[in-house]
Amino acid sequence: MKMLRSGRARAEIRGGARARGLDPLSLAGLACLLLLVLLALGSLVDAAGDPDAIVGPRLRPPGPGWWLGTDNLGRSVLPRVMEGVGTTLLLSSAAVLVTAALSAGFGVLAGYRGGYLNELIMRVVEVLYSFPAIVLAVLVAAVAGPGQLAALAGIVLVTIPLMTRLVRAAAVAVAGRDYVTAAVISGARLPRVLGRHVLPNVAGTIAVQGTYALSVGISVEGGLSFLGFGVQPPQASLGVLIRQGGTYMMAAPWLIIGPGAVLVLAILSINVFGDGLRDRFEPRETRSLV
Amino acid sequence: MRLLLWWGGRALSSAVTLLGISVLIFAALRLMPGGFAETILGPFATPEQKAALAARYGLDQSVLAQYGHWLAAVGTGDLGTSMISRQPVAAELAARLPVTARLTLLAVAAAVLAGVPLGVVTAVRARPGGGGGAGRLLSGLGVSVPEFALGSLVVFVVSRYGLQTTGYLLPAAVLSIFAISATARTTRDAVLGVLVEQHITAAVARGETPWFIVRHHVLRNAAGPVLTLTATVTAYLLGGALIVEYLFNLPGIGSYVVQAVGRRDYAVVQAGVLLAAAVFIVMNVLVDLLVGLVDPRLGRRA
Repeated sequence: MKMLRSGRARAEIRGGARARGLDPLSLAGLACLLLLVLLALGSLVDAAGDPDAIVGPRLRPPGPGWWLGTDNLGRSVLPRVMEGVGTTLLLSSAAVLVTAALSAGFGVLAGYRGGYLNELIMRVVEVLYSFPAIVLAVLVAAVAGPGQLAALAGIVLVTIPLMTRLVRAAAVAVAGRDYVTAAVISGARLPRVLGRHVLPNVAGTIAVQGTYALSVGISVEGGLSFLGFGVQPPQASLGVLIRQGGTYMMAAPWLIIGPGAVLVLAILSINVFGDGLRDRFEPRETRSLV
Repeated sequence: MRLLLWWGGRALSSAVTLLGISVLIFAALRLMPGGFAETILGPFATPEQKAALAARYGLDQSVLAQYGHWLAAVGTGDLGTSMISRQPVAAELAARLPVTARLTLLAVAAAVLAGVPLGVVTAVRARPGGGGGAGRLLSGLGVSVPEFALGSLVVFVVSRYGLQTTGYLLPAAVLSIFAISATARTTRDAVLGVLVEQHITAAVARGETPWFIVRHHVLRNAAGPVLTLTATVTAYLLGGALIVEYLFNLPGIGSYVVQAVGRRDYAVVQAGVLLAAAVFIVMNVLVDLLVGLVDPRLGRRA
């Protein structure tokens, strides 16, 4: 009975034997994501028309001239979705870059130095981590005033605790390696040790977690804007579009179906891509029963 | 003795975390533009009226004094009085707890009953072409659909076809899609991690059937991460499933707290956030205990 088959001997990756690539599913995710970016870039040159222009009758189902239908003001939904994807992706990416930079700095420092600094950083992270995420985002929005800045800050605060924790864990593992000790003994100062020896070796963790943080960020932006605390109309973001579409949902379901589908597609493709990245950076041996 | 010390340290660090949260929430509320007085008296209130109102709720004292009073009151179990309804916050939260608790219970039950088996099956069939890929994509889709998108869709379908919208089943279903998928993904990862261990090789060599191996050698070893995730999800939902409550018009804790943010009802927001964080922290401690019971190796390491 052939019950046990080793899955493609993944253990080899550690030795660098396997070609450094992503599996087809993650590549499909990446392609999808690039397509969405292209769509967003298209809105910069009004490829599908001006998102604010009134092109036809109100609340029309999809048809020629308005491929995703028209909204309650007679604006075509397609260019609005394109603008919305752009806003959402730009905001979330900017926020994730901030998160990644802060997490990398604090995580590496806490993990390598340990001691009181570690305690302090981890306490703050713990506080943010225990805070109910969406309430945290709403509070930030209330303090900063609704808008793009609030959405950005909300995403950063929601994504930063987990990433800092994981970067720190990775840095703790790296800090004990011989090459780090060797660097210290040979007289390298702290910035050099961290920058040249620790940071590059936790970069994989940062990349993987950054990808997941991006999908969380898109979701948080959507949720905040949906509740009215994030991006404000007339600027379009996917959350704004879904919120506005909700009002006319009965008469014009395409108002939420288009933006909703694009939103799910964006998050799904990023998650799938992240899974592939993780398999690539944190390879594990696998095996399947049956 | 060492164990006792360890638990003591754990309790102390939890207390510090809670203290940090209390500072953060207090500061955030005081930093918000637009005070409570404007909300309640409207834009045409005279300064005297505002001062009188502030004095009634102790808002004329220094921020530090206010914080001190609040903390002392919370220490004795007094969560304060809602400035809008003038009811004790504890009573108002308790009135909304059943809604939130019911939603949480349904969603978490679904996550465990459906997510764990799904995760086990996709892990056991992880070999290419074994059907695990489809499961992976499906659960990936499940964690990718934001609550507000799925919720809007469900509300649309339900009202379009005149179905029953009251009750907890639909909102719980919306919440459980994410919970089930996340549980399935975590379970899959954990089971995959156990499958490469040597005692599984030994079991296979003894000729045990796959399901016997899963039941006897895998499940318990893979329980740690799954239990931790379940606790996190439970605590998160108990803190209030704001968006689903908003969509389905459910009077739960999440919508109550966020409404209070809008009205600058300080006592309510402070109590709600502090409570949610306390639940989160306590759940985490409890699950560490539980993991230690289920898998003593992990307990000792902690």
